[in-house]
Amino acid sequence: MDAIGRQRHDERAGTPGEAHREPRSAVDDSGVRRLASDHEEADAGGIVKKIDLHIHTVPTVRDASFEFSLAKLVEYVSNSRLDAIAITNHDCFDRAQFETVRDSVNAVVFPGIEVSLECGHVLVIAACDALDTFEEKADRLHERVATPLDTISLDDFERIFGDLRSYLVIPHYEKSPAVTGASLDRISQYACSGEVDSAKKFIRATKNDAGLTPVLFSDARIAIGLHDLPTRHTFVDCGELTLRALKSSLQDKRKVALSENDGNALVQVFDDGQMISTGLNVLMGSRSSGKSFTLDRIDTSHDNVKYIKQFSLVQQDSQADQREFDRGLDRDRSLFTEEYLRGFKAVLNDVMRVDLAANDRAVADYVSTLLRSADEADRQDAYSKTALFDESEFPQSDDELLSQLIGSTRQLIENLKYRDVIERYIDRNALKRLALDLIKTLWERADDRKRKTVVNALVADIKKALKMRTSATQVSDVDLYQVSLDAKKVARFSRIVRVLETAAVIREDEIQGFKVIAKKGPYGGAGEIKSVSGVVAAFRDAFNEYDRPYQYLQQLLEIEPLKQSELYKLFAKISYSILNADGFEISGGERSEFRLLREIADAQNYDFLLVDEPESSFDNIFLRSDVNEVIRAIAAYMPVVVVTHNSTVGASIHPDYVLYASKEPDGDNVVYRLYSGYPTDHELESCDGRRVQNYEVMLNSLEAGREAYEDRRQGYEALDD
Amino acid sequence: MKLLTISEGAGWFLAADKEWAVIDGITKEDLLRLVDMTLASDVEIDAYCEAGIGNRAQQIVYKSVAQKLQELSDRRGEFVDESERLYLTEFERYTLDLSAAEDSAEAAQG
Repeated sequence: MDAIGRQRHDERAGTPGEAHREPRSAVDDSGVRRLASDHEEADAGGIVKKIDLHIHTVPTVRDASFEFSLAKLVEYVSNSRLDAIAITNHDCFDRAQFETVRDSVNAVVFPGIEVSLECGHVLVIAACDALDTFEEKADRLHERVATPLDTISLDDFERIFGDLRSYLVIPHYEKSPAVTGASLDRISQYACSGEVDSAKKFIRATKNDAGLTPVLFSDARIAIGLHDLPTRHTFVDCGELTLRALKSSLQDKRKVALSENDGNALVQVFDDGQMISTGLNVLMGSRSSGKSFTLDRIDTSHDNVKYIKQFSLVQQDSQADQREFDRGLDRDRSLFTEEYLRGFKAVLNDVMRVDLAANDRAVADYVSTLLRSADEADRQDAYSKTALFDESEFPQSDDELLSQLIGSTRQLIENLKYRDVIERYIDRNALKRLALDLIKTLWERADDRKRKTVVNALVADIKKALKMRTSATQVSDVDLYQVSLDAKKVARFSRIVRVLETAAVIREDEIQGFKVIAKKGPYGGAGEIKSVSGVVAAFRDAFNEYDRPYQYLQQLLEIEPLKQSELYKLFAKISYSILNADGFEISGGERSEFRLLREIADAQNYDFLLVDEPESSFDNIFLRSDVNEVIRAIAAYMPVVVVTHNSTVGASIHPDYVLYASKEPDGDNVVYRLYSGYPTDHELESCDGRRVQNYEVMLNSLEAGREAYEDRRQGYEALDD
Repeated sequence: MKLLTISEGAGWFLAADKEWAVIDGITKEDLLRLVDMTLASDVEIDAYCEAGIGNRAQQIVYKSVAQKLQELSDRRGEFVDESERLYLTEFERYTLDLSAAEDSAEAAQG
């Protein structure tokens, strides 16, 4: 078990006024931190600390309006048994309020700030005894952020805070607005951990050796009327609660966890302390015992939840079901086509701006006016004899390639991850000199372009004025570079269309016995193109040019109702189909099964999956062979809760954790209670300490009770005999 | 390869039949062909010299065409860079898809 899996001390001594006093810890002979002795515990606290270092108490320009409640914060810290919090408002630090909070809550309170950088948000947390310096820096930063659109550059941020190694710096990592790329590389030089916003992302980040240590915090606005208290916290094995100890622990992924005693196996889901597995949970209980209510509660109190409700996928009307399925298929095809042809769409948008006919006319005009002007050579007057009369403009080119080259060189210089490899071949100082040279060239070219633009405008004005005073032919100018480049564009475009039109299977996925196949190929006729275009118009003339992509494009552009943004779909036909295991079109029942599997597979884009009674829509063989397999696969990397009465799901799926919902009398009232535990636990336990027999729960929930189970078992045995 | 030359008191361009033709007979098609050749390989162009060409009309045509082709020749490197990178990512991506599909079809047959 990770270091974090050890017992956290439950009691926290001291009065609110003593809260920010830093507890002690103990070190044994081997140097490993351990729980303090019983005598010490009463005062010192345990080694595993529960922390929430992202809390908002001031409504700033970046927040929706709220009224801070100190009482609610005290309640939150107390009920959640937090050992340390940080006050981190957007781009401001309210010292008076901070000191009130610090003196009121029973936990260590760190001063902090959430900084709105251009590249994402970053928490900066200071030591408790560095208030004066921190306040001064926070105030300087605050002056720079007056509106929700204002941000701070990374350079200014580093300038204001100076040596950021003396703070605990936590960038938004797997959380919006996230700091990524080169900015993250730079911040990682003084940050040891990154904030995530779900248990799923937390676990994923702990498995990424090269990344930052994840932390999960509430990011809560502590407002009057806050109903559900936040449930996102991190447990840290840090001994004492000083900034230095926290920073040291947060450099080690083994020292953070989602739960107090169970590492990352469990995560808190409700504010009463209820935990669930970060893998697969089965929620059982009799009718009206609060199972769906529990799922609804998880759904409303967490972000990014995929919730497959009871009966939502059952086939009720064959025709309606077929229509719904076809619509889904069409959506999938449309999404796939859009994604697959995204690159082609960009090419097409560029080629649409190429006018080969106009280029041809420009060259012809140039040659004919040049020859005519030569013919008239002996009849030139004072105006047509001037040097500028037939002057051509300076050619202009953009510096995109040069800019890209500078970007690539900068990447080589700034890359931290592969610096060793790069420096094995290229001297870093040489790279810097190269970058400077390229930048200097870019500046020179930009200056040159500006000068030429001015001269070109002037020459054009003078030529116009001279032309008005003479009957001599003026030579039309032409940009032969652009004419040639346009011809190249059309040639490359035509080759890409040829490749696209070539028939091939471009996607073939197996989803639990179903085959999803996407194919591409040429359109067979004008009717097919019209059907995909979705407009009422004649496509025959266009289709006659289908073998000549650029001419075909010109014809399509002539068709009035067609939107230019949709033309990219009309060059190659993308078909998308779903077949059963035998390679045939799927039946009505198979459609529902496929939809369930697709819904479950879609859950990988979410942080939680809730499935309410899948047995209400499907037969046991499908549930056992397919649904269970997919659910288990998803649960390998995110929390899943399945409500069931069905033993095929409930027992055969081999859950990591069992939840049991129960409606129980309480005097004249009823209370809804949730018991939980591991499947092998003898008893399941509720948050208020009550217990039920796990075996009885299983039999009652999944087998309709012990008697019915015995009866069935004997029945099967008799049949077998 | 030389595309424009001055000799015998006249200006000449390289015609489609690889013979020299007088510059004032140049057509649009001739010009586009010379442009393609200029951007495709190293070419030679005799610099304009008023004294070398006796005919005033030829002087005007030669001077203009030579200037245009020389500008293009000077930008040949830029043109090659730019045209070779044109839609390259997209071209490679769709070609790769096709190769993968052909490979899997061959494997299925094999």
